[in-house]
Amino acid sequence: MTTQGVPLNGGWIGLHAVNGDDAAANTATTDLINILDTVEIPIVVVRRDFVIACFNKAAADVLGLLPSDIGQASRDISVLAGLPSLEEQCTRVIAGGVEARADFRDGDKWFVVRISPYTTGDRQVTGTVLTFTNVTAFRASIEQAIYERECTKAILNTVADPLIVLSADQRILSGNRAFYTVFGVSRDKTQGVPLYELGNGAFELAPLREQLKEMLAGSHAFQPVEVDHVITAKGQRTLILDAHPLSFPGHSERRVLVTFQDITARKQAEAAKDLRSAEELRRSEAFLAEGQRLSSTGSFSWKVATDEITWSEQLYRIYEFEIGVPVTLELIRTRVHPEDVSLLEKMKMVDQARGGGNDFEWQYRLIMPDHSIKYLHAVAHAIRDRDGQLEYIAAVQDVTARRMSEEALAKARSELAKVARVMSLGVLTASIAHEVNQPLSGIITNASTCLRMLSVDPPNIDGAQETARRTIRDGNRASEVISRLRALFGKKDTTTESVDLNEATREVIALSLSELQRNRVVVRTELANDLPPVMGDRVQLQQVILNLVLNASDAMSSVEDRPRQLVIRTERDEGDRVRLTVQDAGVGLDRDHVKDLFEAFYTTKSGGMGIGLSVSRSIVESHHGRLWATQNDGPGASFSFSIPCAQERLANP
Amino acid sequence: MTALRSLVSVVDDDESVRESLPDLLKMCGFMVEAFSSAEEFLASEHVAQTKCLILDIAMPGMSGPDLQQELRRRRREIPIVYITAGEDEAVRPRMLEQGAVECLFKPFSETALLEAINTALGMS
Repeated sequence: MTTQGVPLNGGWIGLHAVNGDDAAANTATTDLINILDTVEIPIVVVRRDFVIACFNKAAADVLGLLPSDIGQASRDISVLAGLPSLEEQCTRVIAGGVEARADFRDGDKWFVVRISPYTTGDRQVTGTVLTFTNVTAFRASIEQAIYERECTKAILNTVADPLIVLSADQRILSGNRAFYTVFGVSRDKTQGVPLYELGNGAFELAPLREQLKEMLAGSHAFQPVEVDHVITAKGQRTLILDAHPLSFPGHSERRVLVTFQDITARKQAEAAKDLRSAEELRRSEAFLAEGQRLSSTGSFSWKVATDEITWSEQLYRIYEFEIGVPVTLELIRTRVHPEDVSLLEKMKMVDQARGGGNDFEWQYRLIMPDHSIKYLHAVAHAIRDRDGQLEYIAAVQDVTARRMSEEALAKARSELAKVARVMSLGVLTASIAHEVNQPLSGIITNASTCLRMLSVDPPNIDGAQETARRTIRDGNRASEVISRLRALFGKKDTTTESVDLNEATREVIALSLSELQRNRVVVRTELANDLPPVMGDRVQLQQVILNLVLNASDAMSSVEDRPRQLVIRTERDEGDRVRLTVQDAGVGLDRDHVKDLFEAFYTTKSGGMGIGLSVSRSIVESHHGRLWATQNDGPGASFSFSIPCAQERLANP
Repeated sequence: MTALRSLVSVVDDDESVRESLPDLLKMCGFMVEAFSSAEEFLASEHVAQTKCLILDIAMPGMSGPDLQQELRRRRREIPIVYITAGEDEAVRPRMLEQGAVECLFKPFSETALLEAINTALGMS
């Protein structure tokens, strides 16, 4: 920038150095010019008649004023023409002595123009001083702030959830559009209103008030609060209220941003789901109850530490207590059979000894008020509850009916066996009579002979002695027959003893031999020498052998073209068992009816009842054995049974 | 008495009968032979001399009545006294009907036996 006629730094244009000899004043003026020209703010002095008096270097640099502009009317200076009503403002400032301000734009620069009175030494205002402060950057930052604020406002207003800002005394400062819409309130009506008056006072909750208070005191933590029954434009809603602290730089007062989330729909869905699961639960409980009723099975839980017992309805029915009566160990003891009452205590003790938490299975009895007995079978499973306490979950089944039918079955089997024995006795009557009559006959004949030998002269003492010896022998023989009969038919209860099957077989053959001979049956025995004994009921096993022998004899009654040979064989069977086989040469098995053979009341004999094989099989099975029939390679059939020998039974009792 | 010389044959599978009966009959003055089966008797040389047959009904193999039939077939009609250990009373009339002199149920008395034998010997 060039300055004309001004030697000093080329600045403070129009301010002429004072001529004369006052050097001090000259120096002061020069200082001033230097100061003013180093100020970056353009300064322009305008006289009363709006003519430019002088300006500093910044005015030339920034505003583009030229030295030729001095003495020109301000309105003729293009850059100053942009200042509207400059002359009126100057007039006002000169008249009032008070400075004025105006905004001024030069291209992309913004200035704040200060119009100050120009005062002379005698306090006369003779013009104005214009200073141009560049506010371009400041203005830009304000515009940016405004823009950002508008953006934020737009965002907040598009948020569907209501938001409000609370003041330090928990009053509503402002809210977003959703807030006014949702709550159906206006900005004016809510401005400055305490939060607690909103939504019909639903927010008047101590935990909420307390938390907000703490947050306003500096806390950042906030546990969202669920608020029911908030009156809104959409009626009563459930809202979750959350809060975030707001702090502003340079602002000491804290504020809180409060958000409201409408969870009414979710709550309703959950409630519906709860209702559904409650219904499902009710249904599955009903199923369980029906299942328990049908299977006569009740269940209970027993918390060992507290003796707290919970029963299912079916268990109440089994015990015949009124449903819902509180269950105590004392109450249970009034029903449990005295002999079984210690079972629960024992179970507890055993479990403690084992360290707790074992599964149990036990049987016990109840005595009902009518003195009838119920048999119960219980299975308990130990679990630990959430607190680690021991609890038993148990199923209790009423097995009385099963027990009764088992007993009835055992009784029926025993009676059938008895019937079968009596029938065999009938079949054997002739044979038994024969067995007894033979020795009796010998006794009488020998006694007669003896008498005669003694009555002759001289008496035949040797002969008499011999006949007397035979008499005794035959007497013993008859006695043995009776003993065998008594053993086979006189006994009632079953006993378990060590039985030599060979010996038992020989006795059966002895009893039935004459019956077999009468039927012209030839008996051959093949009894193993090293046969180990079996554990069982000797008489019952003999009953089975006898039955098989008599059947074999019957099967050969029509055989005329071949020997009626019956073979009884004993032998060791695999797996520590003993096998006995009765083989005949009879009509053989009817292939179509083999499977019916062992059915009760199945018979091919005109006089039979058909219980022999069925009873035989049940006897063999009660000895842990099996009974089966096979067709021979040649004529006839074989019936065999196989039972474990005594050693094995002893090893595995 | 011709009877004293008469041969009485006993056929019974029961050993005690074969032991005791011959001794008694010998004490009563008879000559006696004992056989354990019908087959043994038929094979023996005493069939022709036998004046009375004391015969068991039930025996393994050939039974008493079988032997009676066989003798009839051979035209050797020997008076027969059946002895049986069975108890079926219906057996006796059937045996008598078929020509037996007597049918005795074991155990029988000495008197009944001797009466039957005497009857038999009287017939021959």
